[in-house]
Amino acid sequence: MIKRKNAPSLKAIEKINFISPVKIQLGEHTPFFWMKEVPNETARLDFIFHAGTTRGSNLISSLVAGLLFSGTDKKTSTDIHNELDDLGAFFDVGLGHESVLVSFYALKKNILAVFKIFEDALEHVNFPQNEINELITDRKQKLKINSEKVGFLAQREFQKNLFHGTNYARQTELEDYDTVRREEIIEYFSKNYKNGLRKVVLVGALEEVQVTEIAEKSKKWCLHEKPLFENNFNNNKGIFQLKKKDAVQSAVRIGKTLFNKNHPDFLGFSILNTILGDYFGSRLMKNIREDKGYTYGISSTEAELAKSGYFMIGTEVGSAQKDLAIQEIKNEIELLQKDLVPDEELELVRNYLLGQLLKSADGPYAMTDLFLSVDAYELDFSFYESYIQKVKNIDAEELRALAVKYLAWDSMTIVIAG
Amino acid sequence: MVKFERFQLSNGLKVIFHKDTSTPMAVVNVLYDIGARDESEEKTGFAHLFEHLMFGGSVNIPDFDTELQKAGGENNAFTSNDITNYYDVLPANNLDTALWLESDRMLSLAFTEKSLEVQRSVVIEEFKQRYLNQPYGDVWLQLRPLAYKKHPYKWATIGKEISHIENATMEDVREFFKKYYCPSNAILCIAGNFELDFIKERVNYWFSDIASGKKPARIIASEPKQLEFRELELERNVPASAFYYAFKMAERKHPDYYIADILSDSLSREKSSLLYLKLKKEKPFVSEIVAYITGSIDEGLFIISGKLNDGISFEDFDNALWEVLNEVCLNPIEEKELNSLKIKMQTARAFQEQGILNRSMNLCYFELLGDANGINEEHLIYEQISCDHIQSYANELFQKTNCSLLKIKAQQA
Repeated sequence: MIKRKNAPSLKAIEKINFISPVKIQLGEHTPFFWMKEVPNETARLDFIFHAGTTRGSNLISSLVAGLLFSGTDKKTSTDIHNELDDLGAFFDVGLGHESVLVSFYALKKNILAVFKIFEDALEHVNFPQNEINELITDRKQKLKINSEKVGFLAQREFQKNLFHGTNYARQTELEDYDTVRREEIIEYFSKNYKNGLRKVVLVGALEEVQVTEIAEKSKKWCLHEKPLFENNFNNNKGIFQLKKKDAVQSAVRIGKTLFNKNHPDFLGFSILNTILGDYFGSRLMKNIREDKGYTYGISSTEAELAKSGYFMIGTEVGSAQKDLAIQEIKNEIELLQKDLVPDEELELVRNYLLGQLLKSADGPYAMTDLFLSVDAYELDFSFYESYIQKVKNIDAEELRALAVKYLAWDSMTIVIAG
Repeated sequence: MVKFERFQLSNGLKVIFHKDTSTPMAVVNVLYDIGARDESEEKTGFAHLFEHLMFGGSVNIPDFDTELQKAGGENNAFTSNDITNYYDVLPANNLDTALWLESDRMLSLAFTEKSLEVQRSVVIEEFKQRYLNQPYGDVWLQLRPLAYKKHPYKWATIGKEISHIENATMEDVREFFKKYYCPSNAILCIAGNFELDFIKERVNYWFSDIASGKKPARIIASEPKQLEFRELELERNVPASAFYYAFKMAERKHPDYYIADILSDSLSREKSSLLYLKLKKEKPFVSEIVAYITGSIDEGLFIISGKLNDGISFEDFDNALWEVLNEVCLNPIEEKELNSLKIKMQTARAFQEQGILNRSMNLCYFELLGDANGINEEHLIYEQISCDHIQSYANELFQKTNCSLLKIKAQQA
């Protein structure tokens, strides 16, 4: 007879083998990381530029990021896209507060050719006026459409209050598009891309000689100075409401500025954050979704910036239940500040987090991203060894003390849109 | 090449084992051959509501998620018009936990009034979040019944209307489980660094005593051939007018399906497709335009959708679009473009095949279509497609009488 009532015995995670990519120094402030142990034909090539929104105007930075392949004197934007298509390449441009990430995905045999197209497109980009106009038209329409979404409105308002008084708080408004000049775009590009390369990352089993060629040819874009970032944030506390007519759900964002991996409490707080809202069995999910049915989903995150970070709870709830939902969020935080996390729950979270870390280290792409997420804060893989120790050893008293120290309700920015 | 082994238990459960020695993780994927197309028209949204209830505790295990999380794993599920698919990803040395959990909920669920009530609310909030509280959110709720008159693809997986979910009873739910959630209606795939004998032994241990059940006969109203152009215009409080041209296309197992897939890729090429060049670049009719296929098992839809620029009328755009489509029908695409599309597909495939979760889901899906080895054979079908095939299929596809058009007119514009 099968014993279905009892769970099979659990086995602990065996050791995780962290593999660091090879590092090639391109310039004083620009490393090139190469993960060469890839057991298949795929490759990814990333370029990280010091060209995020905080480097100048929000709008201009975002337009430049959207126009990197807009054409040169010899090639139109269509030509460049056709050339990339012919190599089967996919690409993606991501814009953040602090950087721009350009990623290419292709078969390894095509990566060098993809790089050469990128090199030419970037070196000679001339920002044709018609491409600028087209992008502005598209972006205006997208902004109008996004402004119909409560989640978008709440997120913008949250960022404004979280980072108030700094470049990080700025948002693009519709009327900003009317005053864009091509010269600003060209100037922003020259200032932040031409000598703005902060990092190159290659994942793929390429030939050494190809890697050297990519590395050598990328050198001309290296940063001349060590980038500096804001670290002094102080979020606006209190409740900020945005009305949106006819909305059947309200978007809620609750959070505050905090820290990144360099802070001694980061590890402990990340475990606390998991318990509160960062997995499917979290307290917020169990209460607000699985017990009350107020929402389809709710989560909390611990986000990082170069020199800082923030904590945020986000959800979309039925408009009639928004006050009840916020009260329940507050209750869950207070419970963490008042009562000790029970052993059984803590044990579950320990196992869950170690399992997830094993998954985050599975395969060359995941391993590279895991490495990048410590390298960004000038740390190395020993961080994860400390993490494993912390997950194994943290106790309920420490978690409660962290909840008291960092989750005070009156320290939060609370945004409700809907 | 994705290697796998196949075996079947005496209760009808089909099992696929995919060995991957490179990963410390294991995947357990269970596909149930039940989707929204199997629902009755009076009780839509059930397959999806049921997917939520599958996490509400089974006969011997009160909480599915908790047990899996204790084992370091995580899981999720999705429902489509064709299937319901559940997956667990966990450290390989805890594989038994996932088998214990999946076998117990295949054996029997422990429904409670409370979990039904809560999941009804959760699904209703999902309905609001995805379909009601988003600009253009209700498009698929409108487009499906325009394109399909008889076939159950005429409703979305979330359901035709909220009331169907609100009115779901315990009785309904029990019946649904009994009918569709049994070994003879499921395909299980296990992937990870294991030996076949071990997998056979563990799967037998956990699953062989579950009663086979009877694979439900699928009686679905077939969609009569569309003979007329259909059109629906709706006003919505959105900033830009949007269009959705839906052409009926071949079912999943038909050779034409693959041709349609490549054709949609060709028309969607970023910044270089004919649609983009003619309707955005040469004359700025649209801000965005894409083509894609729904990929359903029965007769699917080939969609061309996008948004109009301010000041452009539906009529002007419509004329221009049909001109482009006529051009597609008259002139075959160039060999060079076709090759480029095929290389892009190969690249995408190479990336998708990297993760064992993707491979496991695909193995189950191809097994459902008839043979798990389809995962290794499909690219051969694509490779054989010629420019002539595409042109000839475009002529069949882009007929006005084969088209249903949904127009969302912007009140704000």
